Amino acid sequence: MLVFDHVSKSFGDLRAVDDLSFEVEAGEVFGLLGPNGAGKTTAINMAVGLLEPDEGVVRFADEAFDRDPRDAENRRSLGLAPQSIALYEQIGGADNLRFFGRLHGLRGTDLEERVVACLDFADLTDVGKKVVSKYSGGMKRRLNLAVAIIHDPELVLLDEPTVGVDPQSRNAIFERVEQLRDAGKEVVYTTHYMEEAQRLCDRVAIIDRGRLMALDTVPALIEAHGGPGNLVVRTGDSESRHETTDPLGTLAELQARQAVDHFQYLPPDLETVFLNLTGRALRD
Amino acid sequence: MNKIVAMAAKDIHILFRDKLGFFFTVFFPLMMAIFFGAMFAGLSRGPANIPIALVDQDRTSASERFIERLGQASGLAVEQIPREEALEQVRRGRTAVMVTLTPGFGAALDNPFVTTPEVEMTVDPTQFAVAGMVRGVLLEAAGAELQDLMSDPARLGAANSQNSLFFESLPPSDARDQMLTFLDLSPRVSSLIDEMGLGAATGGNQGFGPPLEIEQTEVQAERPGPTNSYATSFAQAMLWTLIGGSVSFSMSIAIERSRGTLMRLLVAPITARHLLAAKGLACLGATLFTSTALITLGITVFDVRPTSYPLLALALLCGSICFCGIMMALSVIGGTEQAAAGIGWGLSLPLSMLGGGMVPLFLMPEWMQTLGNISPMKWTLMAYEGAIWRGFTLNEMLLPCAVLVAIGVLAFTLGARNLRWDTG
Ligand SMILES: Nc1ncnc2c1ncn2[C@@H]1O[C@H](COP(=O)(O)OP(=O)(O)OP(=O)(O)O)[C@@H](O)[C@H]1O
Ligand SMILES: [Mg+2]
Repeated sequence: MLVFDHVSKSFGDLRAVDDLSFEVEAGEVFGLLGPNGAGKTTAINMAVGLLEPDEGVVRFADEAFDRDPRDAENRRSLGLAPQSIALYEQIGGADNLRFFGRLHGLRGTDLEERVVACLDFADLTDVGKKVVSKYSGGMKRRLNLAVAIIHDPELVLLDEPTVGVDPQSRNAIFERVEQLRDAGKEVVYTTHYMEEAQRLCDRVAIIDRGRLMALDTVPALIEAHGGPGNLVVRTGDSESRHETTDPLGTLAELQARQAVDHFQYLPPDLETVFLNLTGRALRD
Repeated sequence: MNKIVAMAAKDIHILFRDKLGFFFTVFFPLMMAIFFGAMFAGLSRGPANIPIALVDQDRTSASERFIERLGQASGLAVEQIPREEALEQVRRGRTAVMVTLTPGFGAALDNPFVTTPEVEMTVDPTQFAVAGMVRGVLLEAAGAELQDLMSDPARLGAANSQNSLFFESLPPSDARDQMLTFLDLSPRVSSLIDEMGLGAATGGNQGFGPPLEIEQTEVQAERPGPTNSYATSFAQAMLWTLIGGSVSFSMSIAIERSRGTLMRLLVAPITARHLLAAKGLACLGATLFTSTALITLGITVFDVRPTSYPLLALALLCGSICFCGIMMALSVIGGTEQAAAGIGWGLSLPLSMLGGGMVPLFLMPEWMQTLGNISPMKWTLMAYEGAIWRGFTLNEMLLPCAVLVAIGVLAFTLGARNLRWDTG
């Protein structure tokens, strides 16, 4: 279990992570949602021991997580897919997997079995021998993810794993993440794509400027922060929008006053929650 | 250990996949070996004429005539200089042969019937082929002298009357009388030969012993350079493969940082020590491999003959150790790959120039060779050349090897201590 306990981290004057607390449980996909610069990557880096918190503790499996990146033992059971693709481009996909597998102590047939499984996981079996520099963006993304799980870790941290890929690759990645969850892994998934979080994440933490704004399941978040939905009504050529928490009642009221040709109800979604919590001002 | 080897193998794999890295560690040094080897091979064949130093202690018109004849002979470049200077030239290996015309040479040349003219030849024993050729030219010249003498009745007559006086002074005997009769007749021999039309068929020294006695002494020349120019050029190439390898590997840490793989390595269950050891091992393995491959090629194809194989192995190892240390220091000085490459090459080129990486050490003036002591490249070349053609003993090899290992260990330690471990 990954635990953030009142964790803060600053770069100079900038408070990148500010008093952040959460716990991730086995068999769940935990979403870290936030606009650019919210502190998602900084949080991930503290989780894997690359960065040391200024305040608070990052713990893993209830033991004090050793924050010294040079102490190897605590890192055995975690796998990281970094936000920017981190692969050796000059060698093949299978060789990348094999290399990182060896680094995690795999060898012989165990290693080869894992390489085959991970190539399959990333749908790259046919191109495993091809050098990575010849891969498409989607293939690299999938390999970037596969390398994170070569050693079959308990905790998998995926930092924006779908950036720059086509809908097909994206969908494949979703399915793989669900597969990981079904296998009982703990998955931390950062993104700023709402529909991804809504589809994949069991619980979502929305953070902004390093602070935790809300943390719950998606329906609960929508319930709490989604606000009213929208009823769109069309009569002839004119269309009107009505905010409401009671779409049936509002529709009946409208029909009493005018003829309604067509209507559509747009319930609040995670994006509404996100914008309500983080505001509409541009970041960066 | 398995992890270190895995990381090192990956680095070497990548190095040989990387076209630029491959160029600088393998292709460029090899081209250099062949290019400079061929170039200096042409030079050491030198001018078409063999230089000989000539010392004339006789100083007669006859000796001058002989010298002139030698000068016209094809194949020799005769330089007339004092004896001491000539000896020095042979000692330094600048001239292969020194020829001395001792007092009395001219008299014997004009009158070879009593004493055969004699020259002293001083040679460097390794230059026996050249000495043989000079010997031939000297004999030829003396033969031509004799032929001239025999076909010139006036000179022959002068010699004979001189000899007659000598024989007449001896106590009477049959032999004396026969000798005098022969001398009396001999001036007519050449005209008789001409009358019979046999002139062209007779060699000048026919019926006589060799027209010239050559007394040969040997002087051991200091070897200023190798006999095979590829011996230096391959040593230089091996140095360049070290330089290319160390610069490429110094970039590799920066590249791992910029490509994000350093983050992956740091998140993996390995320690910084593992990482450093792997980088060092990769650099050591790659440079040892390429330098060994180069010298193997030199030995098998270009006839380079190392004077000691065990010392060569030692030199190869120490050279690689030194440059792997330098690699680590370079990767600290250059934070980004461009900086690492720029600083690496920027430092390597002048130091190589000074250390004999471009112009061979033995062609450099003494003071420059001394100045070169600040360059690790010079110590590497000393070790390589020591085993390849300088004929170092183990004791002589210890100094350059100790310097190399010391530089390597120091640079590696400094580098490893100051390496940035952040991933951005
Ligand atoms: N090493 C660093 N030095 C200084 N500032 C940093 C460093 N790393 C991150 N920051 C700053 O900290 C803040 C949080 O960055 P972080 O990368 O964690 O955001 P993020 O949520 O991952 O954003 P994105 O969605 O763009 O990836 C940003 O303002 C960033 O500029
Ligand atoms: Mg980020």
